[in-house]
Amino acid sequence: MNRSLLLFIMILLTLPLITADAMGSDVAQVQAELTALRAQFNEMKVNYEARINQLETKIVDLTRTYSVKAAEPQVSAPAQTSSLGRYFQSFNPDVSVIGDFVYHGTDQKGTEFRNQFQMRQTELAFSASIDPYARGDFFFHVEQEDGDWHIGLCEGYVTLLSLPIDGLQAKAGKFKVDFGKANKLHLHNLPWVDYPSMVTHYFGGEGMSEPGVSASYLIPNPWDKFIELTAQVVNNRNGTSFAGTSGKDLVYVGHIKNFFDINEESTVELGSSIATGSNNEGHGRYGKNMTTLEGIDLTYKWRPLQKGLYRSLKFQNELLFSQRDRPYLDDGTDITDSKRIDSWGEYSSLEYQFAKQWTTFGRYDFAEFPGDSKQRDNAYSLGLTFAQSEYCFWRLQFKHTNRNYSKDSNEIWLQCDFGLGPHRAHQY
Amino acid sequence: MKRMLITLLLLLTVIPSLSAADSKIKVLTTTEDLRSIAEYIGGGKVAVDSIAKGSQDPHYVEAKPSYMMKAKSADLFIRIGLELEIGYEELIIDGSRNQKIRIGQPGHLDVSKGISPLELPIAKIDRSMGDVHPMGNPHYWLDPENAKIIARNIADRLSELSPQDAGYFSKNLESFNDRMNKKMVEWKEKMAPLRGQKISVYHRSWPYFAERFGLVVACELEPKPGIPPSPGHLKDVIDIIKRDKIKIILMEVFYDEKPARFVAVQTGAEVVVVPNSVGGTREAADYFSLIDTIIGKITAGFQAPRKE
Repeated sequence: MNRSLLLFIMILLTLPLITADAMGSDVAQVQAELTALRAQFNEMKVNYEARINQLETKIVDLTRTYSVKAAEPQVSAPAQTSSLGRYFQSFNPDVSVIGDFVYHGTDQKGTEFRNQFQMRQTELAFSASIDPYARGDFFFHVEQEDGDWHIGLCEGYVTLLSLPIDGLQAKAGKFKVDFGKANKLHLHNLPWVDYPSMVTHYFGGEGMSEPGVSASYLIPNPWDKFIELTAQVVNNRNGTSFAGTSGKDLVYVGHIKNFFDINEESTVELGSSIATGSNNEGHGRYGKNMTTLEGIDLTYKWRPLQKGLYRSLKFQNELLFSQRDRPYLDDGTDITDSKRIDSWGEYSSLEYQFAKQWTTFGRYDFAEFPGDSKQRDNAYSLGLTFAQSEYCFWRLQFKHTNRNYSKDSNEIWLQCDFGLGPHRAHQY
Repeated sequence: MKRMLITLLLLLTVIPSLSAADSKIKVLTTTEDLRSIAEYIGGGKVAVDSIAKGSQDPHYVEAKPSYMMKAKSADLFIRIGLELEIGYEELIIDGSRNQKIRIGQPGHLDVSKGISPLELPIAKIDRSMGDVHPMGNPHYWLDPENAKIIARNIADRLSELSPQDAGYFSKNLESFNDRMNKKMVEWKEKMAPLRGQKISVYHRSWPYFAERFGLVVACELEPKPGIPPSPGHLKDVIDIIKRDKIKIILMEVFYDEKPARFVAVQTGAEVVVVPNSVGGTREAADYFSLIDTIIGKITAGFQAPRKE
């Protein structure tokens, strides 16, 4: 009895423990099940959503293949009006018209359009692929001379893009010769209103552009740097440094362009140029009088990656040396007097873009004349450009010129350039 | 004679090692988003480089000669298309003298194939409308579903260029899509509370992203695409933001923050500056972390206390 009583008491004592334990384990079990269920549910959810996404992809894929299939037989009838227009226009060349309008104020008498407005130039540009192997570019300039409007071919050339030699490209037609940097630019591409005197004194008003052929080659090198060698042969018709409109032979031009990235934001371009040809029609009684020009150009550019829309800087310098055999005298008597004229010219230009639409610039010019190294001038220019958009800018420029052969002068320009059409993107 | 022989032998030993290094497909992409996706799909079989950097405005990239050198040795050139690269692509390809990557060649891939472009002009467009794109808005890579199409296009082309690796590329594509599907769940979950919310943006680059995640672009700080904000237009923007109680002004890292900050002060809205391309900020190291970053910043912007 005693024993059974003791047993009973013991059972009574353990019972609460057991029930508490059992209850505790029940709650834990339920909780665990709940967590498991939740995890299961989450997993299912992720799985289902992933599946839905997969299905979405499949739908996209299917519609894509369907639309591709549907599009195949009716290529000639695109749904969109704009693409229809594009389709019909796609064999037309890109046509652009760019106007260059200035007001030119100056204290130099005898200047054409002095203190007047002038539609200095209208450029008509056409460019398109000719076939799978070549591209064509034409630039016509409309200008006013002595009261009449003239249209002239500034450039018109074919570029052969796929030649059997890797890295070789060729050009044939009339083009701006590859001497330095500024000579190659058209009026509306200049960062200033006018060409530096180095260009105008040695190549003429708008630089040297002649019919000829050109080949350029990317020289392979272990550093994988851009080193481009260009060789050109053009007619000897430039009158400023060479034989002029009656020239009967050719001018040979060479240019090497080296390009380095200092980092993602700054670059340096170093170029050297040479041009050589006769300056006396190439058939003088006493042999050829030759002109040789050498040029060096150095350009530093900076544009920050992230704020590149709002800030940039360009520092461009060119140096040109000319050795010109003095033209012979036709009577032959003075031939012993024939000697070489050495002259030179240079410019330095600094441009700084300080806001999305605003750039300020300054330029220093120095140049002698190829035919007379004793005559020289230097000039200081200062200006401001407001780019209304990519296709229209306004520019104000002031220039003071010192001359040792005539009066000094002050000039001021207000320029507006505006372009219609998809003018080809500019070279860097 | 002996020396010549040695040099010749040396040269012969160098040549195979050179060609071994060249066995990878060299890919040049226009943007870093394409680089990131091409690297995922191409894996160890490709060497990928990109022209534009993620922190740069992809509309204004200059055709530097050094890019021509990169293009010269490329086997595959990949672009976003829809005329995003119109300002520099032709110059770089022409300058590279690389026939393989000319438009129409197998080495030239436009990944917009199969994308449904938004904002396709339905009438004649001209420049009075600003920088409008005649083939539709080109910022489609900001919709992760379109990233899958891009990845598919890249995988297809890589397989075409290197058929022996087709299996490898399709496996990578599958893994890319799987990962994207999983991330999509996460992103949609995070953006779910914002569904239907109106936002203001700096430039018209967010329609694809907004459509995918249910945001509504109510106004743009630029009066017209590419035209800088004017005081008169900002006044209208301020009125819209106040009227619609818009919480955020979403803009890319490369735009001027001043106009957005001005509007923010006037309206109490939060300026949210995000990368729109891989590499735009440090966190946006690949395509997945790019979308992570954008969504993270947008949701944080909505949660920020309103400064009245």
